[in-house]
Amino acid sequence: MHKRNSRLALTAVAVATASALLAGCSSGTAPTTADGKQKVIFWQQKFEDYQQAWFKKNVEAFNKSQDQVEVEYVVVPADTWDQKLKAAQAAGKAPDVKTTNYGNVKPMQANGQLADLTQLMDAEDFDDIKPNVKEFVTVDGGVYGYPLLVEPSTVLFYRTDLFEKAGIDAPPTSWDELIEDARKLTSGKVKGMNIAQTAPDLGWSSWGLQYNVAGDLPLRGDWSEASATDPAYKELAEFYQTLYTEKLMPQEATYGYADCSFFGEGSVAMSACGSWALGQLAGNPDWKNVNENFAVAPFPSYDGDPTRPTATLGGWTLTIDSKSKVAEGAAEFVDYLVADDPQRMVEFFAASGFSKYAARASVDEALAADEEASSNPYMKIISEQIVAHAKGEPAYPWDVSLAFATAIEKSMRGGDIDASLKEAQDAIAGVIEKQKLAGTAPGN
Amino acid sequence: MTMSPQLTTHGATQRIVLESGEPERKGRRRREKVKVARHLMDNRTAYLMIAPMVILLGIFVFWPLVYSFYLSTFEISFYTDPEFVGLQFYRYVLEDPKFWHAIWIGAQYAIYVVPIMLVIAFLIASFIRTVGIKLAGLLKTTVYIPTVVSAVVASIIFVFMYRSDGGIVNWLLSFVGLGPYAFLSNPDLALPAISVPGIWLAFGITTLIMLAGMYDIPESYYEAAQLEGANYFQRTFYITIPLMKNVLLYLLVTATIGALQQFELPLIMTGGGPTNATMTPNLFIFNTFKDPTPYATSFSLTAALILFFVLGTVSVLIFKLINSDKAIDG
Amino acid sequence: MREPLGRRIAKWVLATLIVVSTMLPLAWMIIAGFKGKNEVLRTPFQFFPDVWIWENYIQILGDAAFMQAMIITFIGAVLFTALSLTVNSFAAYAFARLDFRGKSLWWAYCITPMFVPGMAILLTSFVVVSNLGMLNTLAVLIIPGAASAAQMFFIRQFYLNTPVAIEEAALIDGASRWKIFWTIFLPQSQGPFVVVGVGSFLAFWNAYVWPILTIQDPQLQQIMQYLANFRSDRGNEWGLLMAGSALAALPTILLVLIFQRYIVNGVRLAGMK
Repeated sequence: MHKRNSRLALTAVAVATASALLAGCSSGTAPTTADGKQKVIFWQQKFEDYQQAWFKKNVEAFNKSQDQVEVEYVVVPADTWDQKLKAAQAAGKAPDVKTTNYGNVKPMQANGQLADLTQLMDAEDFDDIKPNVKEFVTVDGGVYGYPLLVEPSTVLFYRTDLFEKAGIDAPPTSWDELIEDARKLTSGKVKGMNIAQTAPDLGWSSWGLQYNVAGDLPLRGDWSEASATDPAYKELAEFYQTLYTEKLMPQEATYGYADCSFFGEGSVAMSACGSWALGQLAGNPDWKNVNENFAVAPFPSYDGDPTRPTATLGGWTLTIDSKSKVAEGAAEFVDYLVADDPQRMVEFFAASGFSKYAARASVDEALAADEEASSNPYMKIISEQIVAHAKGEPAYPWDVSLAFATAIEKSMRGGDIDASLKEAQDAIAGVIEKQKLAGTAPGN
Repeated sequence: MTMSPQLTTHGATQRIVLESGEPERKGRRRREKVKVARHLMDNRTAYLMIAPMVILLGIFVFWPLVYSFYLSTFEISFYTDPEFVGLQFYRYVLEDPKFWHAIWIGAQYAIYVVPIMLVIAFLIASFIRTVGIKLAGLLKTTVYIPTVVSAVVASIIFVFMYRSDGGIVNWLLSFVGLGPYAFLSNPDLALPAISVPGIWLAFGITTLIMLAGMYDIPESYYEAAQLEGANYFQRTFYITIPLMKNVLLYLLVTATIGALQQFELPLIMTGGGPTNATMTPNLFIFNTFKDPTPYATSFSLTAALILFFVLGTVSVLIFKLINSDKAIDG
Repeated sequence: MREPLGRRIAKWVLATLIVVSTMLPLAWMIIAGFKGKNEVLRTPFQFFPDVWIWENYIQILGDAAFMQAMIITFIGAVLFTALSLTVNSFAAYAFARLDFRGKSLWWAYCITPMFVPGMAILLTSFVVVSNLGMLNTLAVLIIPGAASAAQMFFIRQFYLNTPVAIEEAALIDGASRWKIFWTIFLPQSQGPFVVVGVGSFLAFWNAYVWPILTIQDPQLQQIMQYLANFRSDRGNEWGLLMAGSALAALPTILLVLIFQRYIVNGVRLAGMK
């Protein structure tokens, strides 16, 4: 009987310890390396190779330049980023610093996930940020992400040689013209146009066009009501529908919107893509022919008005986790990387083939002084005609954008436009209710 | 050897048996009798032997399950205090049309995959029975090979095979005059399209299991039936199928439950699209999980638990439905 | 009695049809590995390439990350197989041959996980392994899944069907239950162990979702992770992708070919009663 009792007691203790362990008590002390430095974990979402190279080089330089902080650099593939981040947060092991796109900054801040950088970095670092970009990362006077770059999400790329052959002398300036041109250019294996066709891609790449045709987004004002059934959106859906159902564009999304391979391979004569495509085109030696025969233009407005927005200004920032135990060390790293010497950023943009644009005034100046930068033909068009009119990304949850995008995809695949938009309307209303969005729009 | 009533207390009985040292009683309880003699020792050996499994299952299955149920009553935020909301998320999930749509997609997928796979497996197994040993061996191995291919590899292969420009499927269809289809971009064709790799991956093991079931049916039954003039169909329906009832039931339940949980194929082949035409329940849960809002975390966790109930219910339903008349003992 | 020729030919035709259609996707993939990018998908479709190139396979084999993934996955699979065989066979023996207090309770306990879908515990088991400090180690792939109700069930079935006679002699001699297991049952268990072992190896080799959540370190990247990443990053190098996929599927196919006898017969051993 002795044995059984003590065995029981032992088991009870074991179970209790185990549950304590398993329920998650994370240590309260700051993580340090063996030699007493603060350990900062940095997750970079995987981008183009030149970005990984730039980050790697600068992380190493930072680590060497001082001995209080050591940064561990982790590259995470884009398609598993969200799940991994979520899971890490659940376990209390979220990275201290991570790349975050503008669209996620405000929702994450609303959930208390981000640290206010104004408490961790010098004021002058923030003065340097361009005013329209600063808006994207500011909430109630606090700044929650330090901008790395901006890139307009929608630029029209077109083949000058194919245009010549088809007798078109200028890029289209209205949606009707674009469709006309696409019809003329679709012949044989080449399609006239390429644009997003799956809901996840349409979700963010059509924001610019949503602004263009309706002046605002399907969730606007104080977010208490959905506006997906705004009659202007019908034109938008029809535009996409025509391109797909008339087979003026590829019928399968072999490449996502963000990948301009269709254009680079010569399968399409025109393509909507983000400005980053410039880097992709320049970087691929197999695409030499296309590279020497293309030009860029702003995506046409539905009615031809060139001052209406057609693109949103997307891009990436570095954010610090609000629960980070090494926030100061993390801030030092962020400062070194993106807020410090403008030359570092010039190197970054040069490596990108100037397909991305600066968010800081000082970097713009440095670029203007840089020979390579100022001789780039596309940069001027993009910054003057596209970035100038571009809008910021919406701050509402992705579910809203996805619901609207699903309506567009349904229309594209031949579905009834009114019915699809109504479905989106209902879906967005559901999101407003469940996620309690009414009245929470920033700036309201 | 009889046992006197006064000695039926546990411990006493054991000692007596041990001392007499003659395990003579026949039948079911023979094993037990010897074990009874060593009762305490066996407890220890047994517990030691099941311990690793018990501990592992406890830590990695039961605890997480309990914890999941617990968490599902909160609006989970990892940054602010979780808010206790009771069964609110259960309501949210059950009210969400996207959840039910996903269940419907799962059901459709199961309807596409399960019957066809069972029939194919049955036919092939029957065929294998009729061929010589060497050929049988070759066929058995051949059908099993797709089973060991991973969902990732299968997805990659079939994405390419389904391409409308240069894919092999469209090439084969062109021989019967059917135009090129963009299978995975077409909301009506995408789900049937992914059921093909689904069937391809699972029919091998199903065939082997059916075959095993068939081998257990004595030849004599068939010979007798043939003497009475029964043809192939009659023999199949009156002998093979009834005698394989347990096997078929087992396969039906596992195939259905497996199909309802299909996730990797649509994840890699279509991401759930086009327009959610391939958004199976687990894929829906997995995708919902990504969103940074606390709402999404709680939602996907709760949806997973509700799915658990759905699956359990489905198994019980199928079992009761088919098992309502107990078959002849195999 | 000789079968009529017509009938035999028909059977061979049918058999060929089955083999060809089953192997078609794999064959296509392997051959596509020998194609240059512009030949993998071309109209008009062609099964065999005009130009056979070895570069794809060579390049993949030369890719350090690929080989690393193959090797580490292999090591993990072997360890996983050993662990799961041990854990599951011990429990199977106990349930099949021993009697002990609370047996039916423990049986229910060990069987229930078969009905728990992985998705219901994905997040919380992640939290558990994270708190145990197992993230980003090989252990996180090996330990959590080692106990398998289905495998244990299968082995138990085999042990139940093993005649009592073989242990009689040993029991009379006074051997302990443990010794009997070790010296008599284990050596006899080849059949089911191969079946279950192959099953474990397969499950580990083909795993995708759990590794992507728990493994960050590129040195530990599992082979299916590697493939999926390859497809996202370098998706337009089709020939390479096909070659990589073919090589990734190769080990498991080889395993089946080597152990085919056990596998196809092993299904019978359990006897579905």
